[in-house]
Amino acid sequence: MLLKLLAQRLIIVLVIILGPFLANAQDKTITGMVTKSSDGSPVAGVSVIPKGSKSGTQTDAAGSYRVSVSSTTTTLVFSSVGFSNKEVSINGQTVVNVSLENAGGNLNEIVIIGYGSARKKDLTGSTSTVSEKEFNKGVVTSPDQLIQGKTTGVQIISSSGAPNAAISVRIRGNSSLRAGNEPLYVVDGVQLAGFVARPVSNIGASIGNLPEGNALSFINPNDISRIDILKDASATAIYGSRGANGVVLITTKKARTGSPTIEFGSSFGTSKVSKKIDYSSASEYRAGLAKYGNTTGDLGANVDAFESILQKASSQNYFVALGGGNELASYRFSLSYFDQKGVIRKSAFTKYNADYTGSFKFLKSKNLSVDVHLLANQGQEKIAPIGNNSNNIGSLLGSALQWNPTKALINPNGTYNIGNVGDDVNPLAYSEYYDDKVNVFNLLGSIAPTYKFTDWLQYKLILSVTQSTGSRKQQLREQLNIQDISGSGFANVSNAQVITKQASHTLNFDKQLSSNLRMGALLGYEYQQIDNEGSALSGRRFTGITIPYYDALLFADIGSRVTRSTLDPSVKLNSYFTRVNFNLKDKYLLTGTFRADGSNNFGAGNRTAYFPSAAAAWNISNEDFLKNNATISNLKLRVGYGITGNQSFPAGSALQRFIPSGPGQFSQVNLQNEDLKWQRDAQLNAGIDIGILKGRFTATFDYFDKKTTQVLAQQVTPIPSPGISFWVNLPGAEISNQGAEIALFGTVVEKNDFFFDLGVNATIQKNKITGLNGPIQTGDINGQGVSNAFVQLMTNGQPLNAFFVRNYRGINPTTGQAEYDEDGNQSFIMGSGLPKTLLGINSNLGYKKLSLGIAMNGAFGHKIYNNTLNTILPINNLGSRNVSAKILADGIEATSNPITTSSRYLEKGDFLRMSNATLSYKLGSLGKAIKNATVSITGQNLFVITKFTGFDPEVNTDKNLNGVPSFGIEFTPYPAVRTFLVGFNFSL
Amino acid sequence: MKKKNFSYSLVLVLMTVLIHSCTKLDSSFGGSQLEPPTTGGVTNVAPLLRATYNDLRDPFQDQTGMWCLQEMSGDDAVGPTRGGDWDDNGIWRVLHSHQWNADHQFITNNYNRLGKIIFDASDLLRFNPTPAQAAQARFLRAFATYSMLDGWDQCPYREPNGAPLDNPKVRKGQEALDYIISEVNAIIADLPAATNPAYTVNKNAARVLLMKCYLNKAVYLNRTAPVHAPADMNQVIALADQIISSNGYSLTPNFFDNFAPTNNALSSENIFTAENIGGSESGNVRSRWFSTLHYNTNPSGWNGFTTLSDFYNKFDAADGRRGQAYPGVTNVSGLRVGFLVGQQFDQNGVALKDRKGNPLAFTPAVQLKETGANLEVTGIRVIKYPIDYTSGDNVNNDYVYYRYADVLLMKAEALLRGGTATAVAPTTAIAAVNMVRARAGLTPMAGVTLDQLSDERGKEFYWEGMRRTDMIRFGKFLGARILKPGVSDNKYLLFPIPNQQLAVNPNLVQNPGY
Repeated sequence: MLLKLLAQRLIIVLVIILGPFLANAQDKTITGMVTKSSDGSPVAGVSVIPKGSKSGTQTDAAGSYRVSVSSTTTTLVFSSVGFSNKEVSINGQTVVNVSLENAGGNLNEIVIIGYGSARKKDLTGSTSTVSEKEFNKGVVTSPDQLIQGKTTGVQIISSSGAPNAAISVRIRGNSSLRAGNEPLYVVDGVQLAGFVARPVSNIGASIGNLPEGNALSFINPNDISRIDILKDASATAIYGSRGANGVVLITTKKARTGSPTIEFGSSFGTSKVSKKIDYSSASEYRAGLAKYGNTTGDLGANVDAFESILQKASSQNYFVALGGGNELASYRFSLSYFDQKGVIRKSAFTKYNADYTGSFKFLKSKNLSVDVHLLANQGQEKIAPIGNNSNNIGSLLGSALQWNPTKALINPNGTYNIGNVGDDVNPLAYSEYYDDKVNVFNLLGSIAPTYKFTDWLQYKLILSVTQSTGSRKQQLREQLNIQDISGSGFANVSNAQVITKQASHTLNFDKQLSSNLRMGALLGYEYQQIDNEGSALSGRRFTGITIPYYDALLFADIGSRVTRSTLDPSVKLNSYFTRVNFNLKDKYLLTGTFRADGSNNFGAGNRTAYFPSAAAAWNISNEDFLKNNATISNLKLRVGYGITGNQSFPAGSALQRFIPSGPGQFSQVNLQNEDLKWQRDAQLNAGIDIGILKGRFTATFDYFDKKTTQVLAQQVTPIPSPGISFWVNLPGAEISNQGAEIALFGTVVEKNDFFFDLGVNATIQKNKITGLNGPIQTGDINGQGVSNAFVQLMTNGQPLNAFFVRNYRGINPTTGQAEYDEDGNQSFIMGSGLPKTLLGINSNLGYKKLSLGIAMNGAFGHKIYNNTLNTILPINNLGSRNVSAKILADGIEATSNPITTSSRYLEKGDFLRMSNATLSYKLGSLGKAIKNATVSITGQNLFVITKFTGFDPEVNTDKNLNGVPSFGIEFTPYPAVRTFLVGFNFSL
Repeated sequence: MKKKNFSYSLVLVLMTVLIHSCTKLDSSFGGSQLEPPTTGGVTNVAPLLRATYNDLRDPFQDQTGMWCLQEMSGDDAVGPTRGGDWDDNGIWRVLHSHQWNADHQFITNNYNRLGKIIFDASDLLRFNPTPAQAAQARFLRAFATYSMLDGWDQCPYREPNGAPLDNPKVRKGQEALDYIISEVNAIIADLPAATNPAYTVNKNAARVLLMKCYLNKAVYLNRTAPVHAPADMNQVIALADQIISSNGYSLTPNFFDNFAPTNNALSSENIFTAENIGGSESGNVRSRWFSTLHYNTNPSGWNGFTTLSDFYNKFDAADGRRGQAYPGVTNVSGLRVGFLVGQQFDQNGVALKDRKGNPLAFTPAVQLKETGANLEVTGIRVIKYPIDYTSGDNVNNDYVYYRYADVLLMKAEALLRGGTATAVAPTTAIAAVNMVRARAGLTPMAGVTLDQLSDERGKEFYWEGMRRTDMIRFGKFLGARILKPGVSDNKYLLFPIPNQQLAVNPNLVQNPGY
C-alpha cells in the first residue's frame, strides 16, 4: 500500500520534472561493442560518455552499448578500470566499435573524497574503494554489510543475527571510551546523523534493553554504486569534529543518459541457525539427573525448547530501476521491496524503498546543473524479546535455552504449560504473548545546484533534509508468569523523530597553472543541525481484554500510566573548510586541508575547533628511471598527518540544565562543564602503493599511528553533585592505535575463457590507553548470581576493553567447587576483546559465462566472554533448568558451585569464516526483449572455523556499564544464520 | 559577458544570504531549561523540593541502599550465597564478614546518592524558596549529611557561590556534626508543627535528628573509645521531652501497622517517612519482602536475605514483634509478618514446597556460602513491611525513617548514659523500655542495663536500617558473631571513602586502615 503511494507520488514528481526535457530532446543513438585489444574478448562495464557530457552508459555483459548523444557531440569517451581511457570521434557514424588497451592498474580511476573527487593516482591519503561489482552478495540489509572483509583497517561486526541488527564498524580500531566509535556516513555529500528514529524499547520488567536497530538499513544496497572509505587523518580532517573515526562515503547510482532502460532483479533466500549451542537434550539431561542422584528433575517429557522458538526463515527481494534521459536531463528511479523473516518466531524485517536521482543542465552555456536526490524508505520490524541485559527469565532465547528439556511446553489439554510467577517462563508462551512492532519512515532529500564559472572554477551547493519518524508498539499479555505482568499485562507506545538539515557551499578551483604544475583548491562553508525527540506512553492492568493492549491504553489503570516526552537540545555545527593541492610533474603531490568547526555542543570556553592536515606523495614510477619499466608499473610513497575530532557526547552536556524528573518534579541533570570540547585525534599515516605488470598485481601497505587525547568520558562527579557522572575531557589520558595494513590483489590467470583473481587484505592493530586517573569498569554481566558483576576494564597500559576476571584453575574433583587464583579474591587482566589481526580474502573465478566469487573474513588475537554459558546453562540449574551438555557429561562440578564470573568463560575469539560464495551464470539475451539476464546462487556464512563455543564468534552484545561500551561479550544473542539465496536479474 | 557577470553576482548574493541566514549557534535546550520552572516570574521551588524528597528513595528504600550497609554489617541480617544464586562477586557476603574495601559498589553508590540529596537541596536554596521550603530542604541536606558522617566521617559540600568545577570542600567529625546541629537549630522554627502527614518534614523530625546527633556525638568524636558527655545526654532527654509533650504520638497498638500499606493512616507513631503512592509512584520498599521471600511463596521472591539464629533467639516467644498473622497478608498468601521460620503454608493451610519438591521449611541455621542440598530453604526470613498485594509494582507502604518508639528508647539510653531525669514521663529508662515492651505484648522488666537496651533496640528496630549505628554506639559492632568468627579491625567502624571519589576530589583522604 505504502509502496504504491510512494510510487504514485514519485511518478508525479518525475513527470513534472522530466516532461519538458524529454519532449525537447533531439538525440541520435550510437551503438557499438567494446573489446579487449589483447584477445578481442568483450569488456563489460565500460563507461561510454559523450565528451562534454557528465553522464553516459555502460557496456553490457556482451560488451555492447547504446548511447544517446546530442547532435553537437563529436567524440565518445570510453573508460574502464584496468584499461586506458580512449576517445573516439564519431564522424557521423551510428556504430562505433572500440578496442581498449590494458592500463597500468586502475590509476585513472576516480575516487570519491571529502567534498569532491580525485584521480586515484593523485591521492595522498589512505582510502579504500569498494565498487558495486565487488560488493558482498546475498541477503544484505544495509550498506555496511556490502563491504565486510573487503578492505583493510575496517572491522565490521553484526551485533547479532537478527533481521536489521545493528552493525558496529570500526575503522582503525577503537579510539573512544564512550559510544561514538562509529564512522561518519556521507551519502552523496549528505552527512548522516548516525541514528534513525527507531524508538527504544520501553518495556522494563525483566526484559532489559532490547538491541538497537541498524541505522543505515534505510538505504537500499541496490541503489549504491560505490563505497569509499577515508581512513587516515589527511583524508578525514576535512570533516573536522565528525571525522575522527573515519568517513564512509556512499555514492548512489546516478541518472543515466540513453534511451530508457529497466533493470529488474529478484532474489529468494532461506536461512537457518548456523550453530546451536551445547545445551542438553532430554536424554542427556536424564543421564545427568541420574549421575547427580536427582530424582525430581525429570518431568517426563522430551522437548527441545530452543527448536520450539524457531521458524522457517525466508527472504525475498525485488527491485526495479529505470533510467534514461539525455545530456540535458536524465533520471534514475528505483523501487524495491525487501522482506526477511528471522529464524526466531515473530521476528521479521520488511522494507520498501524508492530512490530517485535526476540530473539537469540549464542555461545556454549548460553551466548550471542541478542534481536532485530523493530517497524514501519505510522499514517495519517485528522484534522478539531477546534483550542485551535480561535477567534470567527476561530473554526469550535465555528462557528457551534454560527450559528443562523434560518439561512439557504444551499441556495435554493443548494450553501452554505456564507456571507461577517466579517459575521459568515457557518460551513458546513467551513468544506468543509478546508483541513488538516498529515502523520507521525515512526521507532523505537533497538538491545540489552547481554553477561552472569557467573550466577551472565551479560553485556547488548541497541542501538537504533528512527526516526519520518512527513508532513502536509493545505488549506483554497478562497470561505470562512474569512479576508485575502476570494478571495485569503491560503495553507501551513510543514515537521518535530525528531531523537533520545541512547546507554545504563549496567553491572548487582546479587548474593546470603551467605545464608542470597543477593546482586544486576547495573553499567551503557548511551548516548542520540535528534535532531528536521522542515520547512514550505505557500502562498496566488490561485484565480480561482480547484486543492488543497497545491499542487499548485507555483501558489501563490510571495510576499505572506513565507518560514521557523528550526533546534533546539541538546539535548545531557551523563550519568553514578548505583544501589545497599541488601536483608537480605528476611526481610530487602535496595536499593540505583545514577546517574550523563551531559547535553549540562545546562548552562556552571552546566554541570553535580547528582541524589541520597535510600530506605528500611521490609517484616514483613517474621518475625517469622507472618510467618505462616493464615490471613496475606503479610505485608511490605517501605520508600524511592530520588532526580530527570526535564530538559524540549528548547535546547540552556542557551546560547546567534542569529537566522534569518525575510528576511534579524538576532536577538539575548534569554538572556544568564550560570547558567541554571535542576529543582530539592526531594521526600519522605512511603508505606505499605498488603496481606490477600494468596493474595485474597490486599491493598497498599502510602504517598508521593514531593518538587520541582530550579523551571524552563521563567522569564520576565529585559529590555533592546532580548526577553520578558528567562529561569531561580527561586530562592526561591518551588512547593510541597503531597498525599496519596490507592489501594484495592479483589477476592470477587471465586466459581467453578463464580468469582468476585473488585479493588478500590484512590488518594488524595495537590499541592502548594510558594516563587514566583510575580504571573504568564496563562489561556488565547478567544472570542469576552475578548482579553488579563486570568483566572489562579500561586501565592504563592495556587495550581498551581488556578483560578483568578471576583466574579459573579448574574444578576440584573432590569438592566439586571451582578454584581460582588468590582464592578468587583477585581479578586479573586477561586479554582483550579487540582483535589484533583482521583478515579478508576475496577471489573471483570465471569460465565463459560462469563465474564464482568467494569472500572470507577472519579476526584473530582476541577473547570473547561467554556470558551465555556463564549464567544461562550452569550446573546449578540441574533439577529445574537446563544445563550445558558438556558440564553434565563431565559430571564433576557440584550443583552448589556458585555462579561467578571468571576466566572459565573467557574463550579465544579467533575465527575464519567463509562469509560469501556466489556462483552466477550469464544467460545473456533471452529473446528480443530481455537482456543481460543472469542467474546466481549465493551462500552466506557457509562455515566458520573457530574454537568459540557460543553461537558465533562475530558477536558484540551491548553490555555497557554506565554508558561505557563493552566489546566482545556474548549474552544470549539472536543466533547467527546461514543463508542460501537464488537470484535472477535482467534488463529491458 | 554581461549575462555571465549577472549570474556570477546572483550566485554570490545567494551564497551570502544563505551563509548569513544560518550562522547562529545559539543554544536551544530542547526538553531542558537553564533555570527551574517559574510562576509569574518567580521560581517555582515546589518541583525542586519534591525531587529532593524523592532523591532519598534509592539510598534508603532499595535493598542495595544504606539498608544493606547498616543491617548486613550488623547482627540481624545476612545475604548468603545460595549455590548459583546471590554470589554477586561476594558483594553481600563481605558486608556481613567485614571484608569490604574502597571499591565496594554499594558503599560507592550510597555515598554518591547521599551526595545527590545534598546537591539538590543546596541548589534549591538559590531560587528564593519560602522559609518553609528552605527549612525542609536544609533538613533533608542535614539528614543526608548525618548519614555520611555516620558512615564515612567525611562530608563533602559545595560553597553556595562556588564554580561547578571547584573541588567540593569536606567537613569531618566534630565540624560536620556541629554543622548539622547548627543547620537543624536554624530551621526548626520554620518547620510545621503538624505530625501528619509524616512524609513532610516537621519540627519533631528535626528533633529526632538532633537527638541522634547528640546520642552518637561521642562516637563521631572518637569511634573506638567514645565517652558520652552528660550534657549531650541531657540534650537528648530535653529533645525527647519536647516530642513527648507535643502529644502528637503514641505507640501504634499493632507494631506492624507502622509499616503497613496504609501506614500513613494506621500509624500513630511514625514521625518521618517517605511517601509511596500505591499504584503510581513509589520507591523500592517492596524489595524488603522480595529480597527475602522464597520463589514459591506469593509473591514469588528472590530467595535471598535472612536473619541469623542468634538474633532470632533473643526474642521471647511471646514477643509480638517476632511474628504474627496479619490481615491483608496471611489471609491472602498464608505468609505471616515478622520472622518466617519452619514450614510455610498458603492461605488455605496447604504446606508449600521448594523448587525441588521438598517442604518449604526455613531453617534457623544459615551459612555465608550455602552449598548443601537444602540451600534454598536455609535461614529465617523477615517481613517487616506487610506486603501490599493490591498496588502492583508501585506499592503503598510509606518508608519509615523515624518513629516514636525510637524517641522513647533514645531517652532511655540517654538516662542510662548519665543524663538527668526530667518531669516528663517516662521519667526513667526502665519506664520507657517497658512502654515499648508492653506494646510488643511482653511483661515489664524491673530494670534495664545498656546491654539489655542494645538487645531491645535490636528487637524493636530490626531491618529498619539503624543496626550498625546502634551496635557501634554499644561497642558491639566489631565483635565476633555466628558467621563472623573473628573480631574485626577498628577500621571497619567506618566505611572507606570510595576510590572513585578519592580520584576526583583531592580534598578527600582515605579513612584510616583502608
